Amino acid sequence: MIEASHLSRTYTRGDGTPVTALRDVSLAIAPGEFVVIRGASGSGKSSLLNILGCLDTPTSGSYRLGGENVSALSDNERSHVRSKRIGFVFQNFNLLPRATALENVELPTLYTGAAPDHARARQLLAQVGLDGRADHFATELSGGEQQRVAIARALMNDPPLLLADEPTGNLDSAAGESVMQLLTSLQREGRTIVLVTHDEHVASFAEREIVIRDGVVASDTRRRERVQA
Amino acid sequence: MIGAAWRSLTRSKLRTFFMMLGVAVGVAALTALASVGEATRQETLRQFKRMLGTFDTLTIRPGAGSTRGMPSVSTVEPSLKFADGPAIAEGVPGVLRVAQVQQTFDLDVSYRDESVVPLVLGVSSNWADIRDEAVASGSHLTEEDERALARVAVIGADVASVLFKGEDPLGKVIRIADVPFQVKGVMATRGAGPGGASLDNMLVIPVTTASKRLFNRDYLSTLVVQLRNEGDSDRVADDVRALLRERHRIIPPAEDDFTVSSPRATLAQIQQVGSTLSKIVTGVAAIATLIGGAVIMSLMLIGVSERRREIGVRRAVGATRADILAQFLAEATLISALGGAVGIVIGAGGATVGALLQQLPPAYMWSMIGGAVALSLAVGIVFGLYPAWKAANVDPIEALRS
Repeated sequence: MIEASHLSRTYTRGDGTPVTALRDVSLAIAPGEFVVIRGASGSGKSSLLNILGCLDTPTSGSYRLGGENVSALSDNERSHVRSKRIGFVFQNFNLLPRATALENVELPTLYTGAAPDHARARQLLAQVGLDGRADHFATELSGGEQQRVAIARALMNDPPLLLADEPTGNLDSAAGESVMQLLTSLQREGRTIVLVTHDEHVASFAEREIVIRDGVVASDTRRRERVQA
Repeated sequence: MIGAAWRSLTRSKLRTFFMMLGVAVGVAALTALASVGEATRQETLRQFKRMLGTFDTLTIRPGAGSTRGMPSVSTVEPSLKFADGPAIAEGVPGVLRVAQVQQTFDLDVSYRDESVVPLVLGVSSNWADIRDEAVASGSHLTEEDERALARVAVIGADVASVLFKGEDPLGKVIRIADVPFQVKGVMATRGAGPGGASLDNMLVIPVTTASKRLFNRDYLSTLVVQLRNEGDSDRVADDVRALLRERHRIIPPAEDDFTVSSPRATLAQIQQVGSTLSKIVTGVAAIATLIGGAVIMSLMLIGVSERRREIGVRRAVGATRADILAQFLAEATLISALGGAVGIVIGAGGATVGALLQQLPPAYMWSMIGGAVALSLAVGIVFGLYPAWKAANVDPIEALRS
């Protein structure tokens, strides 16, 4: 699914000095894997996630997603890759506050050129346990509910890859637990899940742990055997 | 796209209201002013037409310079002679016929105990025909009346109603400065002239009678030259001028002792004044619309910075820069177009009220209304473009980090 080789990412500070966030990172993630990326803040894990999510491009190195070299694509082409092949789940949910749960779930279809599939959106809301909340505004939902709406939104265009950045960071433990259960069930459907976290308990749901330190891969360990679908 | 823009706008109603306000005010002002101006212009044209009868004429008055006001035969220079009329009719090509007029305002006209002081016109018998004047009853003056110095009069509707109070005036004898005249016709109502004064407080008598039996003057206050072809007006005016200078033995550098004017030129002058005024007013309204655009731009810019996270989310789920640009541009254009629509409705309403207050038939300047629609769309696009461009260039990574 993911083949990254020799990724580097250098930013230029306001005063013109270069800052290296990622240094020669290579990693491969197979389809259906559940991988957690850990690291202190400033370690470069966010830079890595931005590149894996096609929000950013590496300064050097190549990134192949599903066999296609996406590190060389234009801004527009990367938008299309994000639209079709990547689902994002954020720490702060990032729902549109003045839209309903259903409208939030349907948002990704706005940019595919296809007509919104209301039935699929409702089915996804049911899958995340929110079939009764479709017409509630995002602001009327609890944090756990908002994050589940966000997961349904990430699934709307049926992407093979889900990227989650501290998805439980703003949730209480019960809500966090149910979100992790949901992500685990999505892995069983065959989706590849890459999750960034500080939380050891959250990391325990993953089968593989990559630690980033100072812009390089410090360790890459298998925590347990692959969960079979 | 429009639906999404609409939903976004309805969710912050107060801001949307203020964004629409400027454009609405500007467009309303444009529409109302242009329409009131058009109604006034049309009315001025109608009044002129009523006063002059036709536009295919030249008017010659004695004296140089100012042609303003209505000269009276007792006050004008005695330079325009009766014989100048036929001389112009025969000597200048393109002239169909020439009417001779003596006029005065200061004669008492009475019937029994009633009296009025109307405009008294001594006219040649072709005058009514040149001006296309109609009689409501009786008949016009004839060549025979003119030749015989007949004491007959055709009276205006106001004179008829004041003197006769519903009695049939035909055949009755009125006294003009104590000279008895028989009423042989009543003119059809002519309405108001420029400035709104009635054109019906008048009567006409044969110019010969006027000259010999009433005014005792052998010169004219006006010659009305009817053209064969209205387009010839400038050339005929030059020829008439040359002929009259010769007949009056005026040698350069002496100036003309008469003035030739064309109703078209006078009308154009008056409308020029109106149009300068309306250009200024239109400019002010256009500036108001532009200020509305600037309000849209600044509120849109605030909106863009407030909605950075929304932009980041949309970009993350697959929106291209062009999608974001189009979304914000659609919002700005929709706001501006709605503001424009509101403005047109208010403006047309204002124009109708304005016209009714002036007791004119309302006129809507459709070209200006079309222009206002185009203007409001253009304002939305032009002033929405920069905020939309800012929105499209929001860095999704930055926007999502917060």
